[in-house]
Amino acid sequence: MIEFFTDPVLRAPTIGTMLMCFSAGIIGCLVFLQRRSLVGEALSHATYPGVVLSVAFAALFLPFSEDGAALSILFGAFLSGILGLAVIGHLEKKLKISSDAALCFVLAIFFGIGVLIASRLQVTHALWFRQIQIFLFGQAATMVDAHIYLYAILALLVSSAIFLLFRYLEILYFDPGFAESIGMKTLAINGVIYFLLVLAIVIGMRSVGVVLMSGMLIAPPVAARQWTKKLTSFFLVSALVGVAAGFLGNFFSVMIPKWAHQDKLPLPTGPMIILSATSIALFSLLFSPNKGYATRKLRILRYRIRCKEENILKALYEGESYTASSLQLWQMRSKGWLEDSKLTQKGKEKAEKLIRLHQLWEVYLIYMGQGAERVHQSAEAMEHLLTPEMEKQLNELLQKEKR
Amino acid sequence: MNPYWELNFFQFFPVFFGRLFQLLTGALAWKDLASDEVQVLVLAFISIASALIGSLLVLKRMTMLANSLSHTILVGIVIAYLLLAAQGGQELSINFPILIAAALATGILTTVLTQVLSHVIKLQEDASIGLVFTSLFALGVILVTLYTRNAHIGLEIVMGNADALHLNDLKIALGVAMTNAVFVLLFFKEWKLICFDQGLASSLGFRPALFNYLLMLLTSATAISAFRAVGVLLFLAFLVGLPLTARLLTHHLGTMIFLACGIGIVCSIGAVALSRHFLTVYHAPLSTSGLVVVMIGVAFALALGKKKLSSRLCVISPFLA
Repeated sequence: MIEFFTDPVLRAPTIGTMLMCFSAGIIGCLVFLQRRSLVGEALSHATYPGVVLSVAFAALFLPFSEDGAALSILFGAFLSGILGLAVIGHLEKKLKISSDAALCFVLAIFFGIGVLIASRLQVTHALWFRQIQIFLFGQAATMVDAHIYLYAILALLVSSAIFLLFRYLEILYFDPGFAESIGMKTLAINGVIYFLLVLAIVIGMRSVGVVLMSGMLIAPPVAARQWTKKLTSFFLVSALVGVAAGFLGNFFSVMIPKWAHQDKLPLPTGPMIILSATSIALFSLLFSPNKGYATRKLRILRYRIRCKEENILKALYEGESYTASSLQLWQMRSKGWLEDSKLTQKGKEKAEKLIRLHQLWEVYLIYMGQGAERVHQSAEAMEHLLTPEMEKQLNELLQKEKR
Repeated sequence: MNPYWELNFFQFFPVFFGRLFQLLTGALAWKDLASDEVQVLVLAFISIASALIGSLLVLKRMTMLANSLSHTILVGIVIAYLLLAAQGGQELSINFPILIAAALATGILTTVLTQVLSHVIKLQEDASIGLVFTSLFALGVILVTLYTRNAHIGLEIVMGNADALHLNDLKIALGVAMTNAVFVLLFFKEWKLICFDQGLASSLGFRPALFNYLLMLLTSATAISAFRAVGVLLFLAFLVGLPLTARLLTHHLGTMIFLACGIGIVCSIGAVALSRHFLTVYHAPLSTSGLVVVMIGVAFALALGKKKLSSRLCVISPFLA
């Protein structure tokens, strides 16, 4: 485990991708809250012609060097991403093209331009062309220590920008109208947000690749949203999920071939990172304590069982007939309510309390003006739900009625 | 011997239309088609197929789902490759049934997964789409590298390679274009209703969900027919670019589809002619698929210019009269 941070070959990809996933996780939150997660998808493809063109320029004027290629690619990708953003904005605002079509259009046309120029470069500058292909699917394994510093600076830039803007973001996301009315420059802030988005994409391309970059912007916020309600912790959890996915992706891409005892090359890192992030997101969607789908269903099931048990209890107390499976009876016995299908003292108390709640609720409903003939039915449903505080309030109401 | 050898852009067209006429009158056999002609025809049929369903997708605001499909189709294609390899490694395009089955399966899988995420688990729609297609695409990339150790296949699926087309691809493209035409024209009224007023459609007893699935199935079939020529990503330019360009020029659904098909055909012929021109004059082999997409972009810009110009003329025309 620790060798992923010390080994000179593994160190750079691991730390580099973790930093990159950190900034992607934070920026992803911003677009996620705007419900525009797919902008990342369009922009990451829109950077491709920039990558290709900058390499073409560099190839014309400079001798070949990997560092030169990497730097010019960062620059070109950034410019072309910004251009893509401008075109999307123009299509949506000026031409009233629906958002999804505008995104798709920019994605495809920009990517096509990239492919066209790349096909020329492939013949004339094969060495440089190989550098471009790295960016298509990403290649974390060949990253070096210099990348760590570069990505650390960029991650720092992103996180400090968010830190400085945090108060404004809070207002902007929760009440855009209010933000506008107090004279906040929403346009400028949105500009900064999208600037950061393009930056995060450019940072991420080297390790995850143009085609998969949008996944890193989507999965961490989805996971984080399931665990928290507060904006601060939303950002933090999302960044953390990103970092975890970055590490796990590297870890599994190296370890799975080893576990399978095959001396093949490591699995591609970018897709592994995406799969790790998606797995975390899926797990959160299903099992997070408050909002998770499975936990929600489980809670409903538990409530149904409780209702059934309490109904049986009431029937036993009042000597009515009831139907119960042996499992339910066994569970009630283990709770100490029953002893050989007879109520214990504890069970009696519980049943009395339930009947009391039922009556309370009926009184309340009559007090609220509901017809007496419908009262019993809703009281049946509500008696399982009354909390101790409500019980106390209703008791007071009942006392008042009596007087 | 390729009849287009050493021809430039302007010389291309007389030869092309002459040979096309010969082909239609039966003087030229299908198997004698030059590679340039196969490219033009395949691209034209792909444009027709995508323009037909793309118009509906754009109006129904479902293009991002189509984008998602075009990514996930990679998994289907890879699995089809693996199945074929297990049978003894045939050429891919020959075994059309397996390919189309894989495409339809991935199409349904993608749509169902996205629907489950957004409707059952209640995740917001953009994130559901993104989550599904990035993870499936990642799975596809891993499968490619794991079982083939050949990044070339992956690259070709994404980028396409128009030079490797042959007659079988033409058959596939023709088949898919006709299928799309049949489904779109057969249910034209229903599509129109669903595109413009989904609420009315469902209250009249149509099932918009059913039509959505049909549309997704057609999209995946079209993606399969297109991926060898232009790749799964550039296929989106046909799907979205052509209808958007046509949309700038008209307000009628029928005219829009018709125009989109026409623009697609013009772009296809123009791109192949340009590609030949660059090869002849500058000795520079360019990616034909890239050229078509750029042509579509140019067409969009021209349509935009025409729209702007005519709206300007509208403003000043009272003063001219």
